[in-house]
Amino acid sequence: MIVICPKCKIKLKADETKLSVEGSRFKCPKCGTVLIVKKPATEIKKTLDKNKILVAHANPSVLEQATSLLTEHNYQVITSVDGIEAMVKSLKELPFLLIIDVVLPKIYGFEVCKRLKSRPETKDMKFILITSVYNKTKYRREPDSLYGADAYIDEHSIVTRLIEKINKLFAPPEEEKTETSDQPESGITEPRQQDSPVESPEQEGRPWITGQAGPPVEPSIAEKIEKAKRLSRTIISDIYLYNSAKVDEAIKNDNFYTLFAAEIREGAKLYKNRISSEVRDMGDFSRKPWITLYLKKEKT
Amino acid sequence: MSFINYSSHEINCKIVYYGPGLCGKTTNLQYVYKKTNPEQKGKLISLATETDRTLFFDFLPLALGSIKGFKIRFHLYTVPGQIFYAASRKLILKGVDGVVFVADSQLERMEANIESLDDLGINLAEQGYQLDKLSFTMQYNKRDLKNTMPVETMNRLLNTRKVPAIEAVAITGIGVFETLKTVARQVLTELKRNC
Repeated sequence: MIVICPKCKIKLKADETKLSVEGSRFKCPKCGTVLIVKKPATEIKKTLDKNKILVAHANPSVLEQATSLLTEHNYQVITSVDGIEAMVKSLKELPFLLIIDVVLPKIYGFEVCKRLKSRPETKDMKFILITSVYNKTKYRREPDSLYGADAYIDEHSIVTRLIEKINKLFAPPEEEKTETSDQPESGITEPRQQDSPVESPEQEGRPWITGQAGPPVEPSIAEKIEKAKRLSRTIISDIYLYNSAKVDEAIKNDNFYTLFAAEIREGAKLYKNRISSEVRDMGDFSRKPWITLYLKKEKT
Repeated sequence: MSFINYSSHEINCKIVYYGPGLCGKTTNLQYVYKKTNPEQKGKLISLATETDRTLFFDFLPLALGSIKGFKIRFHLYTVPGQIFYAASRKLILKGVDGVVFVADSQLERMEANIESLDDLGINLAEQGYQLDKLSFTMQYNKRDLKNTMPVETMNRLLNTRKVPAIEAVAITGIGVFETLKTVARQVLTELKRNC
């Protein structure tokens, strides 16, 4: 590194390897001034340790499992049992990767991720969130947000998939292109709601009627009609939610009413049970949502 | 109504997780099951369809301390959310002590939430219960999604009774135990009052 003598302004070359953090003394060869040159603090360890991984989880058996696996693959592993410890160790040891439980005690895993990603010295750290799903094949839902983390792994698949996940994360960009979104390995993906046949109520400006459970105050006719419409929309929304692919296909093939005859019948029965004849006699409020769904899907 | 077994010195309380289809009722129970000690819990029973949707109910027994020498055992149930299963829902509500209404925070599911809340009121009334007189907690689930409705608006639309409302991301466990603790506390307070 280059040091400028404050007195004679001569440029001096200092050997960084001989400098200490506290400061090394040496004399300016031109004017004899004694200089104390410190090794810049950022120079000490500004880069992430490419071999070090921090694993944070409250459960010691998970820590043990991950540690032994990563050690086998020649990584140096540090562990934390809570969010505060994970923060402190990450700042001190600068691991290149954190494998961290979402619901870590003291500070949640995703919060640790957010905090470290916002600091200049740790912004390049990669994060894999550990998620907990009781049954590995059932009730899966792909997370919409990883809270700034780079990937996630289910707790039960640490042994089988962690190394693969790490490799994917640090794969060259051309390979990464198809792997940036973390896909669940198996099971059911709950359908997203964007394509729901029932449009956002606020967009349509529908008047909301709050859920009046229990002994209700006698609603007005307008409220009763709105309730009838809402029930119809919910019936259709539910049919679509549970059978979205089948509905799309049926509308495309123009056999929707045949294919969903049973559901339509069931819906009509429910509508009849729930909606008083007084309201039913005022018009068929159950019909319009079907037509709306049909037209909307036909258009797409 | 709590079932008191004098011979075994046990009180069984029934908590039902209610809400529209795919709102996360089963996910709540699965998380509770996963995170409780083996000696505290029984088997998690799920009756699901081929596509893993709750067909009849999920059931999880949970032991939580004691009152006046009686062991308190909570029985957690979920109902099938799909609108057509009204009959199953009504049946499961029989003997209920506390209700958790799991609301889906997504904007486009707000009507389904309101409809389900209505359905809850109707089914309870048909069994001779009133929601206002039951231990009742709301959970606003899926807060991690992008298209969520603000909590204040959900409070206005769904929580007209101003019961405790907890934000949750059941799939990651956020808010799950807070919800359970809240409703359990309500049930126990009621139980102590009647003891």
